[in-house]
Amino acid sequence: MKKASLAILVLTLVAGLWTVAAVGETYKVASDTTWPPFEWSDAEGNLLGFDLDVMRCIGVLQGFEIDISSYDWEIIFDDVGSGRMDIGASGATIRPDREEKVDFSAPYWTSDQAILVRADSELNIITALAGGYTVGAQLETTGAGFITDLIAAGINVTLVEYTLYPLAVLDLINGNIDAVIQDEPASVASATAEEDISVAGVIKTDENFGFFVAEGDPKGLLALINDGVAQLKALGVYDNLIAAYMGTDLVKVEAAWRASIGLLDDGDVVGFASQLATLANE
Amino acid sequence: MDTRQHHNLGDVVLRVEGVHKTYGDNHVLRGVSLQMRRGETKVVIGPSGTGKSTLLRCINQLTVPDQGRVWLGDCEITSRKEDINCARAQIGFVFQSFNLFTHLTALHNVRIAPMKVSRMTKAEATKLAMTELERVGLADKAEAYPAELSGGQQQRVSIARALAMSPKLILFDEPTSALDPELIGEVLEVMVSLAKEGMTMLVVSHEMGFARAVADEIIFMEGGGILEQGPPEQLFRNPEHARTGEFLNKITELYGE
Amino acid sequence: MSTIWQSLELLITRGLPMTLLLTLGLLGTGLLLGFPLAFLQVYGYRPVRWLCRGYEQLFRGVPALVLILIFHSGLSRTFDILLPAFASALLALGLRSSAYQSQIFRGAIQSVGEGQMLAARSVGMSKTQAIRHIILPQAFRLSIPPWTNEFSSVLKDTSLASAIGVLELMKQTTLIFTRIQFIHGAQWILVILMLAALIYWALTYLGNVGLSFLESRMRIPGFETKGQVER
Repeated sequence: MKKASLAILVLTLVAGLWTVAAVGETYKVASDTTWPPFEWSDAEGNLLGFDLDVMRCIGVLQGFEIDISSYDWEIIFDDVGSGRMDIGASGATIRPDREEKVDFSAPYWTSDQAILVRADSELNIITALAGGYTVGAQLETTGAGFITDLIAAGINVTLVEYTLYPLAVLDLINGNIDAVIQDEPASVASATAEEDISVAGVIKTDENFGFFVAEGDPKGLLALINDGVAQLKALGVYDNLIAAYMGTDLVKVEAAWRASIGLLDDGDVVGFASQLATLANE
Repeated sequence: MDTRQHHNLGDVVLRVEGVHKTYGDNHVLRGVSLQMRRGETKVVIGPSGTGKSTLLRCINQLTVPDQGRVWLGDCEITSRKEDINCARAQIGFVFQSFNLFTHLTALHNVRIAPMKVSRMTKAEATKLAMTELERVGLADKAEAYPAELSGGQQQRVSIARALAMSPKLILFDEPTSALDPELIGEVLEVMVSLAKEGMTMLVVSHEMGFARAVADEIIFMEGGGILEQGPPEQLFRNPEHARTGEFLNKITELYGE
Repeated sequence: MSTIWQSLELLITRGLPMTLLLTLGLLGTGLLLGFPLAFLQVYGYRPVRWLCRGYEQLFRGVPALVLILIFHSGLSRTFDILLPAFASALLALGLRSSAYQSQIFRGAIQSVGEGQMLAARSVGMSKTQAIRHIILPQAFRLSIPPWTNEFSSVLKDTSLASAIGVLELMKQTTLIFTRIQFIHGAQWILVILMLAALIYWALTYLGNVGLSFLESRMRIPGFETKGQVER
């Protein structure tokens, strides 16, 4: 027991030194990796997804490495805002209240919200939201915010919040709630995977996603990121990543990623994206 | 009846002068003084609550008296600059509830103080411990744990433990009161042979058979002070105070001779 | 079916090591701090005893998750102290365990019968010797059963570290079941959670077995609970 505790003390000291030592140009990326197709963990524990691969590609182009940590959505803004993590890449909608804690990059994606209902229910998008039903959403998401705004405006709807989006879907299937509101790509993916639920409709909210960094951008990362995104678009990499991740079968994408990541490790951004897109769509 | 040997009484081993002890409102010891010579055996009797145990504990300073002084040989152990641990090592104490170290075997119980306090080597201490265990008739139980021993055996081990430190005197605090009747005999036997061997012993007990056999003096305490003291036969036959006679009769009635 | 094996493998290889590391670290930190605390509370001067008592009340009275967040987010926002997640969890939960462990050891020391100390002093041992050779060995044996409880407790507390981004068993579980919902359907969430529960249960069981074994090795023949055996 004494040896173990000594080892742990040493480990804690080392961990403490971690923060102090600037380990070259490796930036710590925080991401709530529970949200396909933007960021998730495959069956082998690899972290992949649109946001993460965009960040990886930018890293290759701009000459920095990234170290991705799986974060809980609720504290991700605090931790990037405080500077403990360098970059947040997590499908985050640019919002004024969030801008108080972090600085956002230029928008890199536009998303809408979708409403999921049980396939056998008669609800459409209007009735689901205004018919006195219960809608589930993930905590701190724009979807939850949307429902909250509806309630504030006097619409007859009840909101139930979940720490994780799939738990909301589970409750929907089990009949505990009547609908789920969530960004469109994830909703579509869920509906594809489950026979019991379907997309009732899409609400055009035109939300802009941004990558985010600590307030004041002390390390000057936003310039690198914005420039990186522009380059990816110019190289056609951006479109390939979209083709790979949006609307495709998750298992296929995972296999495609494992087959292609080697190219990115070698520095071939274009080759990686194009092979990924091809294999994912076979 | 009087089987007591008249051994040579030596110099003064213990002197107690004017010991007082108060617990809250209760003035338990009211100026007790006594003296023991080498080789003497004295038995203290008296009604319960009269401070007999407290007196013993004040002698080896397990309880610190409010007033009074105690000398062990030439050395005043109540004075502040005396190393009380050193003094205690020379005074043996046998408790009513034995207080053997429960996590140690009988052998280890007896040898631990010689090792840690007298700084003997393990070999020396073990040899000493076995000798003492034999002396109390328990050499064959050396590897037993206290919980595996009967009350009488435990008490005998605790006597061996006290003996192992070669004490100048041994204090016995009601050594047989917690024992089943059948077990009392084996302990008293050990105590009698110790007395005959010349050990200086101050015993709080109501075992009058023991007292009459080996005690040089019986001390009768009442109300926190010594009412009367003297050789056993004198107290039995011709006590100074009626109270003494009363008490002696009562305990002889209850506990036999 | 292969999904189950795959998930189990992932849980064990990616989640379990960190959980074990945290558990040992927490117990170790708790032990290192808790034992001296208990000692001071039993044998120290009054102001010291007060302080120790206060410490104990503080760390036992605040929910574990709140403690973690205080060390992690609270410190960073107020004092600009940025601890890595592992360190925050280790400190917060380790200090908490030390408060519980100090209570365990304090109880054990105080359970050793008073007669033991008296007997030790009566053969001439100093207080230090008595504590070291007589009191502590007995207190140690008495503290094993409640310490087994603390092990169970701490093991479960480690799952709270997932809240601040430590990748241990609980976090790994959520990573798996959030994916699995998109591929196999939401009913699988329950399966994955059961697998995680199974692993936690197995760890608790193994830990208890180990500690039981230790307890039986240290058992004093015939010795039941505290202090004296009269007859």
